Amino acid sequence: MLDHRLILLATPRQIGVLDWRPGHMHWLGEFAASAAGLAAFRTVVAKHARLPVLLVVDTVDEDYRSEILPHVQGQARNELLTRKLKQVFRNARFTGAWRQVRETTGRRDDRYLLAALTDADWLTPWISVLHRERVPLCGIAPLALACQHLLTRLRLQEPHTLLAYRLNNRLRLSYYHNGLLRFSRLISSDTPTQLPGNAADEIAKTQLYLTGQRILPREARLNVLLLDPSGQLDSAQAQLNADPAFSTRLIDMTTLGRALRIPDSFLAATPEVAPLAAIAGEPLQLNLAPPELLQHHTEFRWRRGLHTFAGAVALLGLGTTAAYWLHAQGLNDQAHQMAQQQQQLDARYQTIARTFPVQATTPEQLAQTVLLARHLTDRPTDATALLAAVGQALDVSPDVRLESLDWSEDILSSASGVSIKLDASLDPFDGNYRAAMQRIERFMQTLQAVPSLHDARMTTSPVNADSGSTLSGKAPSADMTQAAVARFSIEMTYRESAP
Amino acid sequence: MTRPPFNVLKLSLITLLAALLLAGIGVTWSRAKAHEAKAALFQQQAALETAQRQFDRSREQQQLIDTHLADYQALAGRGFVGAEDRLAWIEAVQLASRETGLAGPEYRLNPRAASGPQLAQGLSLGQTTMVLTLPLLVETDLPRFLAALDSRATGIYRVRGCRLSRLGDASFEAINQPRLQAECELLWFTVAQTQGGAS
Repeated sequence: MLDHRLILLATPRQIGVLDWRPGHMHWLGEFAASAAGLAAFRTVVAKHARLPVLLVVDTVDEDYRSEILPHVQGQARNELLTRKLKQVFRNARFTGAWRQVRETTGRRDDRYLLAALTDADWLTPWISVLHRERVPLCGIAPLALACQHLLTRLRLQEPHTLLAYRLNNRLRLSYYHNGLLRFSRLISSDTPTQLPGNAADEIAKTQLYLTGQRILPREARLNVLLLDPSGQLDSAQAQLNADPAFSTRLIDMTTLGRALRIPDSFLAATPEVAPLAAIAGEPLQLNLAPPELLQHHTEFRWRRGLHTFAGAVALLGLGTTAAYWLHAQGLNDQAHQMAQQQQQLDARYQTIARTFPVQATTPEQLAQTVLLARHLTDRPTDATALLAAVGQALDVSPDVRLESLDWSEDILSSASGVSIKLDASLDPFDGNYRAAMQRIERFMQTLQAVPSLHDARMTTSPVNADSGSTLSGKAPSADMTQAAVARFSIEMTYRESAP
Repeated sequence: MTRPPFNVLKLSLITLLAALLLAGIGVTWSRAKAHEAKAALFQQQAALETAQRQFDRSREQQQLIDTHLADYQALAGRGFVGAEDRLAWIEAVQLASRETGLAGPEYRLNPRAASGPQLAQGLSLGQTTMVLTLPLLVETDLPRFLAALDSRATGIYRVRGCRLSRLGDASFEAINQPRLQAECELLWFTVAQTQGGAS
């Protein structure tokens, strides 16, 4: 657990140890300020040497000063506070400053609470044990500060609060302004505080002191909270409430246990755990430990930070590695499935390929060859029909004498028909070209009348009457009529008519 | 936290370095594996597509073979596929002329030439021109001869054209002498076999 720690409550007579982590705590016991107690304490500490330790001190020898200092930051603030602490508390080893609020008016200075343990010789043996065991001491806090967190947990935030807390037969009076610690004093058991009247007197004296020191405004009404697990302060409530300057109320253990989420039985058995449990999970605002005592904790924090970072890196690496690996496995699975599909396809292909005949040509060429052969043998020209078509026209034109017949077809486009060229002459011909042209025209009309013959056109005429050419001849005489010849040529297209 | 106390953090730093190293190695290794798997998947995908195409093609080829093999084999048997069989063509002409009673048809076979690409359609189609000169008694001898040739010829041919003309200028007499002449141009087609086969 990252927030697992030991909370120690040290008094000049004894030290108590609380093993704390969020939602769970365990009281490890109290150890008297004797050789045996120190040895036992050392044993316990050694067993938990890896846990950070917060030391809460409860002693008469403490001092609090409220100071208003210029608002500075960084190194300047450190130097200012060091100088101020040295000036106020002289040679005290355990001192600390807490910047509580910033003034809202004037220079907007900072209000500090300076605190010190004026006599801490009794603390040295305990700290020596911690130091020898290299325990990471994270701080030393006064019990009054722990009680501040106790009030926070109890949701008691009146402007002027005085907590009268009776613990280990000693009465601690702590003043909180707006929930922040301003002053505290411990009335030792040597003074007769057992009597309720004396407790009320001490509270009244403290109120006078606070007013005198101008810590508490003169007209302010002090809210006094009485906290005593033994119940001896209960009777002081009536006495205090008789004075209008006080408003007193008791804090019972049930309320306290509920606020701190501590079982009543545990709280009744070890009432000192209440302030320790309250401060355990909170950041330390006022630390009285000198820097040299915090060295192990500094090392501890660095070590913990590095280990956390290393763990995060390892976790991130592991997660990323796992993600990549799983992704790769997914891809491999896909590839494996595809390989299986490919094998199945190959097997089916082989099955089909085995049925292929051994050919020197591809199936596509094979099919193409067959189709080409079909095309070449498709609908050849029917010579009989072609001759019959031409003969049909010649039969009705007895004066036309056929000399030659020529036909040809284009194999690529056989549908366009067969080209026919016909060379013929007129017989008889009397030399009358005009009449001859009329007879040829009639013959062409006869050809056109045949359904399978199309586009008949004369390509060669018996006489060329074109004005662009030379025309020569001999006028016919009566005895040379038989010798004249009128030849002509006709081209046409033959397409088989639909049956 | 102030300046880090390096002297007491050696082990922690080593731990951190080890974590960084192991994480780096793990990520690099697994990333390389993922890249390898991706490349293998792409390769396998391409192989699968190739196999699918090959399989589809084989089915199409199988269908083509089923449809056309018998015809193809018949054509090969007729001499359409393979080398020219000029002797068979001449024999067919002789048989046809004998059957139709035509005397002494003359023939001339030109060297084989490649057919035009529009007709060949990618095949190695060749055509051999045969010029036939036929003396005819009457014009109907020509269609009879062509019909006889059609029934005798084993190869594939096409009559490109014919010219029918008179022999001399004499008037018609009922004698058994050819008075007409036909000159026909026949194209004999053959497809040369290429190396290949079903794939």
